[in-house]
Amino acid sequence: MQETILLPLIIALPLLGFVILGLFGKRIGEPTAGWLASLLVLGSFLLGLFLVLQGGARWALSEWLPGIPLSFNLDNLSGIMLMVVAGVGFLIHVWAIGYMHGDPGYSRFFSYFNLFIAAMLVLILGDSLPVVFIGWEGVGLASYLLIGFWYHERVNADSARKAFIVNRIGDLGFLLAMGLLWSMFGTLSISELVGKVEAGGYSFTTLTLAGFFLLIGAIGKSAQVPLMVWLPDAMAGPTPVSALIHAATMVTAGVYLLVRHAFMLHDDAFLSGLIVAIGLLTAIYGALCSLGQWDIKRIVAYTTLSQLGFMFVAVGVGAYWVAIFHIVTHAFFKALMFMTSGSVIHALGGEQDVRAMGGMRKYLPSTHLHGLVAAFASGGLVPLAGFWSKDAILAYSFEYGPWLWVLMLGASVLAALYSIRWYVLVFWGDYRGKEHPHESPPVMLWPNHILSVGALGVGFIGLPYVIDYENFISPFLKKAIGDFGHEKLPVLTEWVLIIVSAAVAITALWWGFRFFQQKMPQWYTHFQTWALNGFYADTLYNTLFVNPMKSLAEVLLGGDRGILTGFAGLGSLMGGLGNLLAKLETGALRFYLAGLLIALVLLVGWGVLR
Amino acid sequence: MIWLVASALLFSIGAYGALTRRTAILVFLSIELMLNAAALSLISFSKLTGSLDAQVVVLFIIAIAAAEVAVGLGLIVAIFRRRETTSVDELRQLRG
Repeated sequence: MQETILLPLIIALPLLGFVILGLFGKRIGEPTAGWLASLLVLGSFLLGLFLVLQGGARWALSEWLPGIPLSFNLDNLSGIMLMVVAGVGFLIHVWAIGYMHGDPGYSRFFSYFNLFIAAMLVLILGDSLPVVFIGWEGVGLASYLLIGFWYHERVNADSARKAFIVNRIGDLGFLLAMGLLWSMFGTLSISELVGKVEAGGYSFTTLTLAGFFLLIGAIGKSAQVPLMVWLPDAMAGPTPVSALIHAATMVTAGVYLLVRHAFMLHDDAFLSGLIVAIGLLTAIYGALCSLGQWDIKRIVAYTTLSQLGFMFVAVGVGAYWVAIFHIVTHAFFKALMFMTSGSVIHALGGEQDVRAMGGMRKYLPSTHLHGLVAAFASGGLVPLAGFWSKDAILAYSFEYGPWLWVLMLGASVLAALYSIRWYVLVFWGDYRGKEHPHESPPVMLWPNHILSVGALGVGFIGLPYVIDYENFISPFLKKAIGDFGHEKLPVLTEWVLIIVSAAVAITALWWGFRFFQQKMPQWYTHFQTWALNGFYADTLYNTLFVNPMKSLAEVLLGGDRGILTGFAGLGSLMGGLGNLLAKLETGALRFYLAGLLIALVLLVGWGVLR
Repeated sequence: MIWLVASALLFSIGAYGALTRRTAILVFLSIELMLNAAALSLISFSKLTGSLDAQVVVLFIIAIAAAEVAVGLGLIVAIFRRRETTSVDELRQLRG
């Protein structure tokens, strides 16, 4: 650990890009603006890699707020997140150079993109919670700006507002958690909190409450049940936004926050159980919804929900390194899945309905391969990235309770099904649309090539112990998170779990591959109408919260109008009185004089008689 | 005491003149009468109390009255040049 000014520089690079492109973006123009933004993110990535290889870094400005330093901390945990955010972020930046080609808001887009990276790095590297919170709000702002990027259409602006408002609920939880922790320990620095929590001497219930509030924050940001409604609508933004913010990085911030506070959670059976329940619910809900969507981006958005649920389960069962491992693999295959979808949308001139796709494997050979890798990695085929991280989650779930393992296995069957459904609907069958498809330019193909390699191979950093006794990522992360001493499962059990999960995934993928090419049976279309609307969660929330609030607003508006009418009446009364008085101003000099003299006589008379 | 009565008479004459005259010059003149009535009453109070303070004030009043006359007459002349009248009843454009 070294003190170095290079650490804040990692954040400053994309921030600089935001400022330059925000001020002079129009003059820089495309494609220079896109390349500038991408290179700055690459700079952050290289700088971060350099510091991680040196064993981490710290930097602090102690005089920031009274008692709260402006401190950044690059340890192994934030290091891995930084690699994902800046590395995958760089690839998505490059891809967006091709995707956003010809858009009137080209440099504005890249300016927001750099703002997002800067805010996300603040979130990741921040050591004291207020600093994390700045990043937390910053990514929310960037997400809002980018969802509503094409704000000329009302539905996009509405989606942006929805995302922002739902996230506010989570932010409130974060703020309350900070307040509680401050009143308990008098510090908000995470590295100091670790020691204070271990030292004891506080009310355990209050700590649970603080953890609960943090969890609410994480639920909001990571779009877990019951605050999941904003993520599918967030797909209104351009596809690179969905890939970067709503799949690979920002939505995993909630998981990251929980892992950062593992020291508060791991002893707490209530919180852990709650996290498992929420994650499980989200994993299944997202998967079922995804199976019913027709919009290609909404299909992928719901798969993201489901995978985020997997990560929450990993956090809940205490497998913190597995949660991060899944973030890493997920960042690769989900970004790839989104960018493949984006390439298809690009090829079809903006078409997003999968019913007007199909047969793309003939028209877009390279993109087809990317889609194949993404679907297999997401569906959990051996030995792609998604398989190893999902298998680790399943193994820890088994340790938590075999019932959880069964449910999670069910969720991963659904995961295999939605992945293969996406793949089949887009790439197999006959082409059902009218546009003439064309393969993407190299600037969009190369990032996908690299991500495909990642989605194929990145799982090998976290192999189960029966294959690779000391894998890379687990001890690496334990240095930062802490070692919470899990018993290793017996070798035989572990092997059985691996084989079962591999066999189930292959079966589900194969069955799905056959099933989704046929005409859909009656029961499926029935199910689909429910799933298409996200099981009417939006309708439920509208009835329960939004509409009562709207009625309340109407009532208050009526009250406001009443008060305003009163004030307006008072105003016109005063005006009338003024008009009456103005009649005294006749302009006749002798009239004024007479008035003065009468007043004089009255005043003197009053003075004498008093 | 007699001076106070004289002062009151002078003031009343001035007030009557200011109210009844229509020409700006005469109104102005009546106002000057009222001002000097006030000065006269100050002098008589000074004699009654034996203090010289009030007489000093009167000296100031005389000086200020001179300046005021210069400004007032200047205004009246300017108005006459523009309107060819100084009747205060015709000059009532400053209505509210």
